[in-house]
Amino acid sequence: MPEYSIDELIITCMARELRGEVIVTSVTSLGALAAHLAKSTHAPDLAVLSTPESGMDAIPMPTLSLGQFLTDNQRAIPLTMEDIFDAIFTDRFRIWINPAQIDQAGNVNISVIGPWEHPKVALVGSRGIPEDTSHLSQGLYYLTSHTPRTVVPKVDFISGVGYTPEREKWLGPHGAPTCLVTDLGVFGWDPQRGTMAPRSLHPGVTADQVKERTGFPIEVPPRLPVTAPPGPDEIAILRAADPLEVRKLEFSSGKDAAEKFAAIYERERQTLHAAWPRRRH
Amino acid sequence: MNKVVTCEEVVAQIEDGATVAIGGSSLSRKPMALVRALARSNRKNLRLIVNVGGPEVDLLIGTGRVAEVIYAFVGFEVMGLAPHFRRARQDGSVRFQEWTEYTVMAGLDAAIKRVPFLPTHAGLGTDVMRVNPAFRTIQDPFEGTTLLAVPALRPDVALIHVNLADPQGNGVILGDGHMDALCAKAARRTFLSAEQILLPERLQTYGHDVRILRPLVTGVVEAPWGAHFTGCAPDYRADLTHVQEYLGAARDGPAWHEYLERYVYASDQEYLRALGSERSLGERLRV
Repeated sequence: MPEYSIDELIITCMARELRGEVIVTSVTSLGALAAHLAKSTHAPDLAVLSTPESGMDAIPMPTLSLGQFLTDNQRAIPLTMEDIFDAIFTDRFRIWINPAQIDQAGNVNISVIGPWEHPKVALVGSRGIPEDTSHLSQGLYYLTSHTPRTVVPKVDFISGVGYTPEREKWLGPHGAPTCLVTDLGVFGWDPQRGTMAPRSLHPGVTADQVKERTGFPIEVPPRLPVTAPPGPDEIAILRAADPLEVRKLEFSSGKDAAEKFAAIYERERQTLHAAWPRRRH
Repeated sequence: MNKVVTCEEVVAQIEDGATVAIGGSSLSRKPMALVRALARSNRKNLRLIVNVGGPEVDLLIGTGRVAEVIYAFVGFEVMGLAPHFRRARQDGSVRFQEWTEYTVMAGLDAAIKRVPFLPTHAGLGTDVMRVNPAFRTIQDPFEGTTLLAVPALRPDVALIHVNLADPQGNGVILGDGHMDALCAKAARRTFLSAEQILLPERLQTYGHDVRILRPLVTGVVEAPWGAHFTGCAPDYRADLTHVQEYLGAARDGPAWHEYLERYVYASDQEYLRALGSERSLGERLRV
């Protein structure tokens, strides 16, 4: 059994959900790597954008600041905002979203902790999540840390709509949540019941751990499958695609993260210099 | 017509209370030279319209220029939350309307098409619809389904940074266009800043990369490094070292005043000098 780390397991689970010939974008390094891994293995027709401001069919070096430069240097196909949103509206688009909170019904929040009108912590705003959760046939979410603060009974603010009476009335199945990958397992939603349920637990994770770290009572059936860990090929693809380990930033904070960040930012410049001579205009 | 002006002359044409749409997205191609000029002016009660906002919104809130923000997002991506935005959201000192990425585009598009609203499914069932009174629901007159009606967003002014422009106001964007063309078309007056101003006959050779057309443009400023500390592909990447400096200062009262003195209450030449030589800036950020 090859050695792998939790980020590699999470990314591998994310990759397995992607298929077909759709545009896959990401705003995080885990999302970018999942798309790249899927395209490199079981889903060769995916049209991968390395970041939202990037072109189609770029090779996604996960990056802090260089999406546009990858597009330019690799002669990737540049997309417009209209291309992106029309792809969302016609369900030819996928994105892995990393919410601040997700609840039992699959509502997600990236906007605010506490009431919107009087925030305890103002986060960032709902961005394009309402578009995704009203149109796409896959609603894909991941958390690097499954805790009662992130997997909650009810989100403080619905940035993206899960299984709610409003969905039933106005949206039907378009944009409903389909998958949540966390550091504990892979979860899904039965469209009839509209509640979150585990599909598999990661190697070594127990039902008790899932119950303790979930903010609402969750049923964990006995004899649940164990998540298949990444194989040697998958691990090799991920490490080759992210030699600077940008993916690790999503798991660290404080001084550690700041130091790692500064190092990556400098190495990113050197790598790009070495790898892709700049196209002049 | 020669439309070349300075940042200060652009600011002089923006009135108190004006609704200002700002181009770019996230840490990409924000018109920061124009935004800094606005930040050091005495304009007040501005209403900002941004899609994916960050440093421009935060700086204008942090210098007290803003009464209201219409936004889909304000933050610094992997670098963290926007300190002044966060404070103003939490203490209620500025009004906020949370929109979404497409609905901001649809609102501008409605203004361009001279219709009062455009319908969409985006936003239905979310709390954005609940907390933002600008949105209404509407019955589809053909099939009777419920849609969200996005009202027209009518900016007085749009501020956009481009790679190249000519003195007549044509603008070349070599990277992602974001929603800049929509801002330019929807606003009553649009001002560009450009890394470089070229003669019209040279600019014309850029073909499809000319994305902002001169009939839309009132004034154009030559501003090398005019998007700094955001990136301006393919000329330079975002200066994340400076982002860290900005965020550190914006979280702390005394440091914020020092930051403003050094970088904002300064001419563009002084700004570049404060960052080190243009050569060192180039070595760090041109890739």
